[in-house]
Amino acid sequence: MAPSAATPARYYDGETAQVLEVGVRPTAGELILFRPADSSIVARWPVNETAVLGDGSHEGAPPIVRRGGEARLVIEDPEQRRQLAALIPHLAALAEVPASAGRRIAALGASLAVLVAAFWGVIDYGTEYAAPWLPYSLQVKLGETVYEELVADKDECQGQRGLAAINDLANELARAAGYPHEVTVHVIDGGPVNAFTLPGGILVFYSDLFEQAKNSSQVAGVLAHEIGHVVHHHPTKGIVRAYGVDLLMKLVSGGYSDLLNTLTSGGNILLAMRNGRAFEREADATGVALLEKLGLRADGVSSFFEQMMEKEPKDAASAAGIWSSHPPTQERIEATKRPPTGRPAFSTANWKALREVCK
Amino acid sequence: MGELYAIYLRHVVLMVLTLGWSRFWGRTRLRRYLWNHLSILGDRFEYRGRGRELLIGFLLAMVMLAGWAGLMWLAWVYLFHEKPFATFGMFDIFSLSVVMIGFPLAYVGHYAGLRYKLSRTRWRGIRCGLAGSAWRYGVVATFLTFANMCTVQLLTPVVTVNLARPRISNARVGTLPLAFVGSAGDVYGRYLGYYFLNIVAWLAAIAAAFAIGGSTADKFGLTSDDLLKLFTTPSLRTVLVAAAVAVGVYLLFSLLILPLRCWWQAYWFRYLVSHSRAGNVLFATAITTRQMWGFLVLNYLIVLLTLGLGWPWVMHRTLRLIAGELWLYGAPDGASVRQRTDGGSPFGEGLLDMFDVSGL
Ligand SMILES: [Zn+2]
Repeated sequence: MAPSAATPARYYDGETAQVLEVGVRPTAGELILFRPADSSIVARWPVNETAVLGDGSHEGAPPIVRRGGEARLVIEDPEQRRQLAALIPHLAALAEVPASAGRRIAALGASLAVLVAAFWGVIDYGTEYAAPWLPYSLQVKLGETVYEELVADKDECQGQRGLAAINDLANELARAAGYPHEVTVHVIDGGPVNAFTLPGGILVFYSDLFEQAKNSSQVAGVLAHEIGHVVHHHPTKGIVRAYGVDLLMKLVSGGYSDLLNTLTSGGNILLAMRNGRAFEREADATGVALLEKLGLRADGVSSFFEQMMEKEPKDAASAAGIWSSHPPTQERIEATKRPPTGRPAFSTANWKALREVCK
Repeated sequence: MGELYAIYLRHVVLMVLTLGWSRFWGRTRLRRYLWNHLSILGDRFEYRGRGRELLIGFLLAMVMLAGWAGLMWLAWVYLFHEKPFATFGMFDIFSLSVVMIGFPLAYVGHYAGLRYKLSRTRWRGIRCGLAGSAWRYGVVATFLTFANMCTVQLLTPVVTVNLARPRISNARVGTLPLAFVGSAGDVYGRYLGYYFLNIVAWLAAIAAAFAIGGSTADKFGLTSDDLLKLFTTPSLRTVLVAAAVAVGVYLLFSLLILPLRCWWQAYWFRYLVSHSRAGNVLFATAITTRQMWGFLVLNYLIVLLTLGLGWPWVMHRTLRLIAGELWLYGAPDGASVRQRTDGGSPFGEGLLDMFDVSGL
């Protein structure tokens, strides 16, 4: 390139919104901006006071400025920007050509896939180990809040003897599993036929379950299953995972999109279902093992499920019960099948008291 | 578009790595790209915001929220003497108060965010800006939105015109102010037409949904019992069936109702643009219902179906739409448009960031 050749550029003076088509001629120490028509000088910028704003991968045409001023010089043609940069080291940024977009997209896409998989893995397996470390008082607070919400308009049963019986057994089972905290069983009057576990070792039974149960070992089976959820910290893990997935979706959408909230809830349902199956299997196994460890009759889980299978729910109330959170499947019945031997979990008197806990 | 994709993907990767804290810098980079790839009269816009300004704005908003929580706590202790009345606890008071102030604050944040973005925007080296009070805008917007709700949306033209006016006529490029000369009366006729056609369309869609739903159920011999079972013992099949039904209902409603909405939105946008001016520069657009469909509906679907990864594509489409459909008549007298000497908003878009309403 001949040193006399000038680069065409647009010049904004920084004081008004006028545009000037100028020629730029670099000399040893200066950038000389002049009107091409009559070669009159518009501005002389000392080279070591010039700078480039931005870069070639974000800006379409990064403006050149004289430091401290608001005037700008824009060279639209990338080739001419490159040539100018070659002459003036201060403007080297003008020549920066980003790596091909395709290659960067491939690399970034691959790292994103790896990151999402890793994040998912942390959520999925990390909670396995992290959930028990969540301060216990916090878990209790969480569980209590949810419980208050759930039973706001329902009656809690107060039969002292029945409550004592089921709480004693629950704590005996939890201790047998090495669970270091006290668990609490609440009984709510009515249906559906269901029981569930909240964070902080809070168990909730509906009294209809006691009525539907054929014998005390079925109730003990369900209780042992719920204790299985408690000792594996399933409720806390479930919540932590739901939040984790929520966060992941927000991050992957670049923090932009509220639209994705809809999808997030969909993702959470899928996760809950997936978690659900794994959690149920784990709770089944632990429940049965705990009953056997204490020498109690352990056929209750499978026989209760069998009974539930036989009379499929015909009304919405029972369908919303044990079926929704603990779908009885042939697989689960097979896995928990045990002989009807062992000590009964409740004495006859306690069993009677439990059945009358809401009276 | 490849460049934009690379910038966006980099942003997303950093978001996952930093658990979202990189968003201030990521947004800034994206804006730099978008601004500089949009030009008017051959001159590119320039975005000179900094990521740390957005971070400071966010932190300020957090401090304000914490202050508010502290205030509520004091009220709880000294006014209510920690006694819940009618099962109304500390947490309820706080969340209720946040909802009460959150609604107006979202508008305040919107205006403040627009001011921030304009103050960091340059055209021909001249800083843009937005005058007016964000708080005043928040109060007016809250009042108008509430009034509109009370009148079953019949005040929509009044609301949209009165919310558009301050945002346009307070905006300026250097010393050159923009102006908006629209009035609600102009658009009321079209709006009422849209309003009643909308009601008719909803009725038609509901009737059609029932007819289709009933006949499908008959055809497959489904009873309500079967349906119940479908949802109480969910399987992959149930999920797929439910998804198919959802898509069907969505299509039905979108075919009847969304075109109407796009028709109104396209009209309103044409009105908005053609009643705005900057000095002796007049604006115009002939954006069609079909283009509005592409902008509102297709863009939404792209983002949704790509789990957000189609966002750069949507931005690219939007840039193209603006470039193709925004027409200018006349040229500004460059010499008379001067740089203003006052700075503009010093901090980022804290409130906006917190309520997450910023599209860009
Ligand atoms: Zn279970």
